[in-house]
Amino acid sequence: MFGFLKQVGDYTRDAVDAARNLAQGFAVTFDHMQRRPVTVQYPYEKLIPSERYRGRIHYEFDKCIACEVCVRVCPINLPVVDWVMNKATKKKELRNYSIDFGVCIFCGNCVEYCPTNCLSMTEEYELAAFDRHSLNYDNVALGRLPTSVTTDPSVQPLRELVYLPAGEMDPHTVSADRPRAGKLPADVLETLAPVKDEGQSSKAVLKEDA
Amino acid sequence: MVSPGLDLELSFSQAMQGFGLSPEVARLLWLPLPMLLVLVAAVVGVLVSVWLERKISAAVQQRVGPEYAGALGVLQPLADGLKLLVKEDIIPARADSILFTLGPILVVVPVIVSWLIIPFGQNLLISNVGVGIFLWISFSSVQPIGLLMSGYASNNKYSLLGGLRAAAQSISYEIPLALAVLAIVMMSNSLSTVDIVNQQTGAGILSWNIWRQPVGFLIFWICALAECERLPFDLPEAEEELVAGYQTEYAGMKFALFYLAGYINLVLSAVLVSVLYLGGWGFPIPVEWLAGWLHQPIDAPVVQVITGSVGIMMTILKAYLLVFVAILLRWTTPRVRIDQLLDLGWKFLLPLALVNLLVTAALKLAFPVAFGG
Repeated sequence: MFGFLKQVGDYTRDAVDAARNLAQGFAVTFDHMQRRPVTVQYPYEKLIPSERYRGRIHYEFDKCIACEVCVRVCPINLPVVDWVMNKATKKKELRNYSIDFGVCIFCGNCVEYCPTNCLSMTEEYELAAFDRHSLNYDNVALGRLPTSVTTDPSVQPLRELVYLPAGEMDPHTVSADRPRAGKLPADVLETLAPVKDEGQSSKAVLKEDA
Repeated sequence: MVSPGLDLELSFSQAMQGFGLSPEVARLLWLPLPMLLVLVAAVVGVLVSVWLERKISAAVQQRVGPEYAGALGVLQPLADGLKLLVKEDIIPARADSILFTLGPILVVVPVIVSWLIIPFGQNLLISNVGVGIFLWISFSSVQPIGLLMSGYASNNKYSLLGGLRAAAQSISYEIPLALAVLAIVMMSNSLSTVDIVNQQTGAGILSWNIWRQPVGFLIFWICALAECERLPFDLPEAEEELVAGYQTEYAGMKFALFYLAGYINLVLSAVLVSVLYLGGWGFPIPVEWLAGWLHQPIDAPVVQVITGSVGIMMTILKAYLLVFVAILLRWTTPRVRIDQLLDLGWKFLLPLALVNLLVTAALKLAFPVAFGG
């Protein structure tokens, strides 16, 4: 008899607990209903890619010396450098250069090692194509500059969370001229003291007690 | 106490007779009208609840939801329906084509026929059947046969499992549901939905059955969710485990029938909860009192029209409040396992419903005034 009563009591306690947990869950979902959507309405709104965004690679044909460093540092030797040796001038003559973005992993090694800085990374990420072969960009396609999100009149640019002022969560309500949280690179530069000039004036160290 | 209320049929019949038609012809002309009206109301109710489902789901997940099809995306469900209408109707190879076609029909027809007994006012229903609520319970038990049929006929293991789960679930939850309804029936001494609502209109919100049957209300709501296969109990179509259960092989209009049946059933269950427990078409303050305070005769045509509209509004409002709760519940609770589902049905709800019934019977004997002696 006592055991049975205990069983009933335990069961009731469990049921009450379950009801309380359910109410707690309801409170969470109900609270979320009145929050602003966090989604970016993509074709109409776009996030501004960060400064170091590794998008489609830009290439300047005239700067290239056909050294093939980009090919050697590439994990899969992807860039195709088509050059011929000009016997008369004893110089390489570059004819074509191409990168297949269907295969590229956007690691940026080629950009990092290019001795003449003819390779750079853009903020372009909309590379969808109907045919994978059209992702194989030649030097003309590689030389095109992408449309910037901030200058495209059909797009409302939105700042990413880390680029918003401190405490702000919603990019829609923040005006463009308010600076981001934390110090900008220019502000950081002011805290750096120049090293006593020994031929390398660009070198700098942090102040001891900054 | 109970006023005769609007009698549209009588007015229609008189108007037709004014045109020189016999009463029989007038009745024949009248008959399809309420049916058509209720069918349209049910379909519009589905469109509204699909839109609500998508918008509320989006809001809970901090999304925007449908936005471009009409203002705030209100035309999105219509676009979905249109898409399903023009899609190819596929019957899989080696499926039983007769059962495969019959399944969705058997699922959707009982749900629509159940609207027969839904009262929106004293005379605002298709038919005041004497066995009203019992009719709904028996119709809703036809549904699992259709589900099982379509699951079996699809020639697909997921469909079969889904169909079996649907049948098991419906059978387990039918019993506590019926017992909860039985307690209400005992209190109102009638199976008719109109009588059940009338018994709750005495003192406005205070006389609603939810205060006398709080446990029954919870049991009924849980069982209704299980019957509709709404989320905590959506095992038959659990997409993560069973692809889509018995709906896996369906496309086009046949899938649309399942979809339609699901949402009509949800709205129907919500309306029935409001009829059984939340006073049906009754306003929180009795309309008779309000008319008395404003010194208006309750039988005046204007007052009658206002009363009727308020009744329809209240029914819809209460039903959609419950639909809202069901949608919110979808994003609040995880899916239960099949053993937990059957445990809840047989070991918790069934004994609780039985105790509730016995307590109601005892209270009816002890306090006949409050419990409809």
